[in-house]
Amino acid sequence: MSIQHYEVARYKARHPHLFTEPLEVRVRRYAVWGGFIALFIYCLVAFDFSPTRIFIGVQRLGQVLSFMFPPYIWTSWGEFAPIVEGLLETLAIAFLGTVLGAVIAFPLSFLGAKNINRIPFIRHSTRRGYDIIRAFETLILALIFIRAFGLGPLPGILAMAVSEIGTFAKLFSEAIENTSEKPVDGVKASGGSRFQTIRFGVMPQVSPVIISILLYNFESNVRSGTILGIVGAGGIGFLLSDRIAAYKWDEAWSIIFLIIIMVYIIDWLSAKIRKQIIGEFGGTK
Amino acid sequence: MAALNISGLSKHFGTTKAVDSATLEIEAGQFVGVIGRSGAGKSTLLRLINRLIDPTEGSVSFDGVDITKLKGKALRQWRRDCAMIFQQFNLVDRLDVITNVLIGRVAEHSILSSTAMRFSDAERAMAAKALDRLDMVPFALQRAGTLSGGQQQRVAIARALVQNPRIMLADEPIASLDPGNATRVMEALRTINEEDKLTVLVNLHTLDTAREYCGRIIAMRQGQVMFDGPAHELTDAVVRDIYGADGLEDFNEAVTSTSVKGQEPVAA
Repeated sequence: MSIQHYEVARYKARHPHLFTEPLEVRVRRYAVWGGFIALFIYCLVAFDFSPTRIFIGVQRLGQVLSFMFPPYIWTSWGEFAPIVEGLLETLAIAFLGTVLGAVIAFPLSFLGAKNINRIPFIRHSTRRGYDIIRAFETLILALIFIRAFGLGPLPGILAMAVSEIGTFAKLFSEAIENTSEKPVDGVKASGGSRFQTIRFGVMPQVSPVIISILLYNFESNVRSGTILGIVGAGGIGFLLSDRIAAYKWDEAWSIIFLIIIMVYIIDWLSAKIRKQIIGEFGGTK
Repeated sequence: MAALNISGLSKHFGTTKAVDSATLEIEAGQFVGVIGRSGAGKSTLLRLINRLIDPTEGSVSFDGVDITKLKGKALRQWRRDCAMIFQQFNLVDRLDVITNVLIGRVAEHSILSSTAMRFSDAERAMAAKALDRLDMVPFALQRAGTLSGGQQQRVAIARALVQNPRIMLADEPIASLDPGNATRVMEALRTINEEDKLTVLVNLHTLDTAREYCGRIIAMRQGQVMFDGPAHELTDAVVRDIYGADGLEDFNEAVTSTSVKGQEPVAA
């Protein structure tokens, strides 16, 4: 199929909307891009993002990095035991926080899913509830809970669990909404009750997604769990901030390396578990 | 001279021989139907011709050029020359119809112009003309995903047309369509075959459609070509053999028929 010059002109005259977008659309697009770039440049200027400052900072960074050598090695078990304990405590905080958050978020997520909860008022208020919880960063929750429950892992676990409720409930309910109606109709047409359509039609579709979210958030909680200790909510972070405050940079670096190794192992394990449980899962369709 | 020469073409998936040393010659301008039961290797054959997959053995040549050896730019140009439409239409649901049709032009575009999705006026006019032939201009700015199956397949044909192809492959183009839309799509392919003189190679499940539209029918079974000839030579006995319907008491073509009696053919 070929096209002649006169045909181009004819189609252009007859269907101009297929050749150029309306003026208002183009103006809006340029305005949005212009605004975005202006904001970006303004922020750079406002925070004095100058090349000289970056250059000086990078030089000092090299100095801090050089404290890594020679690496600090713990020689006695008495010295090393608290470090191991701190690492395990961080793992335990992440594990308990994730599980507690998921257990509470799971039923809530059904209340927030459009295809399950058909009453808009309850659904919307539940969803706003998730949003409010998510507005509190874990670290802020930890500071509040430390005041109430005292120092140690307990406020850390609670802070993690509460912030995960908001995240999990939102992600789970989106997973539930993204399921296909077809299997649900199949179960319904076979005489299934409302609960049975969820159990047999919806759950098999969402469970791989939920497991995947759980594993990912556990990984991410192990990472962010290290920070909780810095404010006094238990775990390895407390030891790390203590060493940095005492200018024991060599030992601090060794702790950082141990954290990296631990996070790496958790990532690797969770990838294995994910593959084992979910197999070659391509997402809900 | 044959336009498309397939010789000793095989594709193995593990121990399965999806296509088993097929040899075919297809003249320019023919309307060829490929039939056979599910898993007989029809789709694999078309995908081998378009080079969406590479053959295990054998070769395909078009106008004397061995297309099984093509790489890079030459391969992409062959795919452009050899347009393909699919059972599930394979449109980009989130893009509007006109952009979906313009995807037929990507082989001519660089990374830069594709990133900006920028097409020339001549290309846009071509897309409009192709949509016009298939009565789809009124839907040009609608998202492809919002259209019905029959409309989506017509958009897919328009995308194939703007490729300026030399041969058109269709992989069960009407298997997901109702009889009315199936007729429109088959008529569109017939018009393309007759007016644009394009060779058309179409996989079909419905025998009466094959008899109605295809001057030549190729039947496959377990990857091998079992029958190759004009439609009237496709007797009941041959059909039983192809579909392995020995056990079925009354194998009835009408069961799978999608013909609409008395339907006005829609010109594309």
